[in-house]
Amino acid sequence: MRLGFAVKMLGQPDLKSHDTRRWQNEPHLSVSLAYVRDLFGYLDRADIRMYRLSSDLAPYLTHPDLPQFHHQLDECAAELALVGQMAREAGLRLSFHPSQYVVLNAADEAIADRSAADIATKAQMLEAMGLGAEAVVVVHPGGVYGDRKSAMERFVARYEGLPAVARQRLVLENDDASYSVRDIHCIHQQTGLRLVFDYLHFLNYNPEGLSLAEALALNLDTWPADVTPKVHFSSPSTAMRTVEHTDSRTGGRRLVLRSPRPTQHADFIDPFAFIAFLRQAQGLRDFDVMLEAKAKDLALLRLRDDLGRFAPGLLSEEGG
Amino acid sequence: MDEIELSSSHRVLVAVMNDPRDLEIARHEGWYRIPLKRAPTRVAADYLAFYQTKAFGDEKWAVNYYAPTRRYRLVTRAELLPEEADHPRAREPYYKVEIGPLQRLPRPIPSKRLRRVAFIPTTLERLLRAEEINDLWDRGSREDGLWEAFRREGIEAERQYEVEEGMVRHRNSEQSVVDFAIFCQEGQVAVICEGEPAGEGLRVIRERQVSDYDLATLSWTVLRFDRQQLSRDVPGCLAAVREAVSRCGGQVDPCDWTNRE
Repeated sequence: MRLGFAVKMLGQPDLKSHDTRRWQNEPHLSVSLAYVRDLFGYLDRADIRMYRLSSDLAPYLTHPDLPQFHHQLDECAAELALVGQMAREAGLRLSFHPSQYVVLNAADEAIADRSAADIATKAQMLEAMGLGAEAVVVVHPGGVYGDRKSAMERFVARYEGLPAVARQRLVLENDDASYSVRDIHCIHQQTGLRLVFDYLHFLNYNPEGLSLAEALALNLDTWPADVTPKVHFSSPSTAMRTVEHTDSRTGGRRLVLRSPRPTQHADFIDPFAFIAFLRQAQGLRDFDVMLEAKAKDLALLRLRDDLGRFAPGLLSEEGG
Repeated sequence: MDEIELSSSHRVLVAVMNDPRDLEIARHEGWYRIPLKRAPTRVAADYLAFYQTKAFGDEKWAVNYYAPTRRYRLVTRAELLPEEADHPRAREPYYKVEIGPLQRLPRPIPSKRLRRVAFIPTTLERLLRAEEINDLWDRGSREDGLWEAFRREGIEAERQYEVEEGMVRHRNSEQSVVDFAIFCQEGQVAVICEGEPAGEGLRVIRERQVSDYDLATLSWTVLRFDRQQLSRDVPGCLAAVREAVSRCGGQVDPCDWTNRE
């Protein structure tokens, strides 16, 4: 089992995940890829073999008003190939997870078109890196728009309109409020899309009352036998939130404490919940786990230590 | 997806210029080359700056210019320098780092001592503030704190000093580097700052460093300070350094060390 984290490295905060410059300063995908090459060194030293690339790896690639950025993929064929070669040599699994603004089933056609373009370019990058089928682009089904059936049909139709490279690499994740494991499985049955089980989302939204093992198995079985499935794991935040509150009468601002939401990611992973999860997964096929924690790579390193302390040998039992 | 931005510093890579022709290429053609095989651990940056070596007359042994990066292209040496198509490394891959216009720094950043400078990853803030090469190293607040303490106390040290000559090469290590090197009449003092943990019980992976044994065989006295010492007992660290320097016969004047090399 490989454990992974997303984008930002807190253990080495001076390592950037991509070229973050504003468009006026001419950022470029090739600079991002040089940053990725550098962070691969850190991942290797830390023995981390799964990583989510920044959604902004190719700056402004699909921005409608900045055409000067539209050809970066063509301009970076060699550099993308190098990054892919490095990833393969390191046994590093890469993926993308487009931002919340990428909504393939949007009611607004313009949003849907931009979303499709975003997904396609990310798939093209993974393709240009020469990565295998495990390198995926993860999305949620999107909104419900007052009519779940139509929204799901719209997702399917838009998915089928994607270029082949995007369809091959796209995978679907359950969310925490709108689309359950059953819902995305329904979409899988129509499209063949592979599914990503998100543990915290499942805990927050499981209207069908599936058991965890049932839900996990449903997702894992959507992956071909020769491709390791991907699962997302996070722990719910239990920390008070500091929120800036504006008084509607006076306009004055003050800071208030609010209780956490169960959908929010904790800084670290609850090791006991993770151990229980893995024990429930015993007997199912092996999978890789993307950890979604605010402490990023530090959360991964901490979990690894915790597993060694509280459940030594469990990862090796799971093939990790 | 939430992303936490801890630092918005612009990254700079200080690279070496040995040949005035390369500066002219940077100035007029807007690029600088880095062999892929010998590329440093950190090659990416928002800016390149250039440490000019002895071939540059009045500008030698200092960083004088910097420029924004635009592209990192992978090309062969022959594509970069077609007039040298027969060069032994003509087919080897290089990063062609395309840059914007060269800008002169507000003041040169000299190396006070003759030492090997390779690549120095730093930030734009440090570059614009630095008074000498050793100010550029971006190694964390604890190590910076010790550096500042050395400066206040008049302890002359070189940061990130590569100990090459006579060293036993460690398997899988590119180089043997000490965090601070202090040169004395009868040997040298190496100060090594132990790993910078990012949180309780967590240890950030750092590059391997040279062993005490290997350093001792070359007349280095080794001092290691852990993060607690660096955070809470800088006076104690300074006292240990002073004692070690004293046992090695006192510091050498930087000019004397330069002549020795």
